[in-house]
Amino acid sequence: MEDQLKTDFEKNLRDFSYSDQEKKFKKNNFNVFLEQGFPNRKLENWKFSDLNQIIKNNIGELTFYNDYSKENQIDKIELINELEHNKLIIVDGKIEKIDFKFEDKDKIEVLAEQGEEIIKKNINSLINLNNAFSNKFCKIIIKKNYSLKKPLVVYHSTNKDTKFKNTNSRIDFKLEENACLKLIDIFKDNSEKNFINIYYNFELDKSSILKNYKIDRSINNNIKYSYNNIKQEANSVSETFILSSGSKFFKNEINCDLIGQHSSAFVNGIFDLDDENHHEIKSNINHLIENTKSYQLIKSVLEKKSKAVYQGKIFVSSEAQKTDGYQLSNAILLSENSEFNAKPELEIYADDVKCSHGSSSGSLDENSIFYLMSRGLNYKEAKKLLINGFLLDVIEKITDEEIKNLIKNLLGVKE
Amino acid sequence: MLKINNLNAKIDKKSILQNFKLEINPGEVHAIMGPNGSGKSTLSNILSGKKGYDVTGEVLFENNDLFSLETEERAHKGIFLAFQYPLEIPGVNTNVFLKTSLNAIKKARGEKELDAIQFLKLVKEKAKELKFDEEKLGRQLNVGFSGGEKKKNEILQMSILKPKLSILDETDSGLDIDALKTVADGVNALRKNDNSFLIITHYQRLLEYIKPDFVHVLMNGKIIKSGGPELALELEKKGYENIN
Repeated sequence: MEDQLKTDFEKNLRDFSYSDQEKKFKKNNFNVFLEQGFPNRKLENWKFSDLNQIIKNNIGELTFYNDYSKENQIDKIELINELEHNKLIIVDGKIEKIDFKFEDKDKIEVLAEQGEEIIKKNINSLINLNNAFSNKFCKIIIKKNYSLKKPLVVYHSTNKDTKFKNTNSRIDFKLEENACLKLIDIFKDNSEKNFINIYYNFELDKSSILKNYKIDRSINNNIKYSYNNIKQEANSVSETFILSSGSKFFKNEINCDLIGQHSSAFVNGIFDLDDENHHEIKSNINHLIENTKSYQLIKSVLEKKSKAVYQGKIFVSSEAQKTDGYQLSNAILLSENSEFNAKPELEIYADDVKCSHGSSSGSLDENSIFYLMSRGLNYKEAKKLLINGFLLDVIEKITDEEIKNLIKNLLGVKE
Repeated sequence: MLKINNLNAKIDKKSILQNFKLEINPGEVHAIMGPNGSGKSTLSNILSGKKGYDVTGEVLFENNDLFSLETEERAHKGIFLAFQYPLEIPGVNTNVFLKTSLNAIKKARGEKELDAIQFLKLVKEKAKELKFDEEKLGRQLNVGFSGGEKKKNEILQMSILKPKLSILDETDSGLDIDALKTVADGVNALRKNDNSFLIITHYQRLLEYIKPDFVHVLMNGKIIKSGGPELALELEKKGYENIN
């Protein structure tokens, strides 16, 4: 892998015009990745999902070079038509299109220049990999007091002949004071056996609101990792909802730094897994100042040999008095071979806090099934009704009605 | 309508019903009384198709072999069990459940399914008759309902689904006297020449309000005595120990 990495990295640097500063940044990141490689189970964060093995077993050897000069076809990508939206289309890691057609143009700024950035060595090597290989920098700034009229949908897609490849994409977002962004990530894979690495950086200024809905519903054989880094100033709110379902492997990691008073973070999600799919949600909610709040609810429905992992961490620093932190996960295992792993972590250094966690897993209640069947529903209908009921309370956490209905439709949940 | 011949039932090798016999004709109301552990709930579970029992013998419902029918097929053919302990189903809206159930049965019978408006009209009417709080219909099924409300909900389901044979498994337990009367009124309103009831109870109390045609005493998995409504009164006086 090392030779391939070096060759592909050199090619990447040679073929695209990066500034000297960018080159330096990329080289530094590349060296860190070269040294560390893909994360494996020796790392605590990766003990339930050994990415190194998962890539080896499902893909084999990867290549890392993507030709960012070629124009990718985007007309084949199936767009969602249930709701009006702005678009950002990424193919093989390259941003092909940014279209804020519903918005006031002077309220949104798109930057292509990266400022000085210090590499955070301690996140993980995938961020370094991303920084080394991702294309031109892109930062979207939502101006003060502006709420987007329509959601921004980011389509993550691959070319149909892209195979055994690593693709990397990164977008930075800044929500200025009192700004509001609804961001939907949709995955539309046109090819298989790739490792797709996504990195988002969010700065939420005072009183801004970010709603990020990640919808991985289409069945595909790709391996995915997504990292959201969210920094929140006073009174800001971040709401993250993850529907984790279609990919072979998907790890969603959410890191949230609550640095302003009365800021709050919500991380909710559903694992709806079949076959041998293996998905993980890893959260780090860092309460770093007084009076902040976090809430996490994860529900899983696991068929066949599927495996879901939820590692939810709540960190409360010694300054962060009056923290309110909550997390809960419930899983229904529909097969003896399915697996749910929950590792709640609370690390608390303040003494006046309210934190709790809970986790449960079990099979569908046979008595409930019997009750419903005795009222004329067949087994399949009874099961479906119970599962919908089980998922409903987490779906109800979605604060945007339009998106809530979209997700209900995707899951076939009727009211 | 229902013919039970030499029914034996075991659970984990423990014999519960032995050579059980019972025949119910259209329009009849039968009461089965018995002490705890006599096999009353097993009987209702087996008739409605709960899994987990080893059974031998014959049960015919309108000349269909009951054991060849799945739980939901029995419901389609007109068997209804009002549960002793109705289950709480979180996340499932009571109205949605009722409509799904009614339409599943209508569909299986080849009848036209009800649309939302027709259904709401029906359910509101029935809820009013049973003094069932309409607001509860919009809530999750049985979640946060009192014991009495859960039982009323069973009778509400019964009155909407209009079964041919209704089995009431200790529907009176946990009901105060007003709720008991309402439930009894609901049952009596459904009594017709062509449908039947099997009422399972500990006490004679319910039978003051729903007059049975026959009373059977179940002890240790067998019917030890059958008679008219007067048998219930005798039981009340003498207790199960001294009946023979």
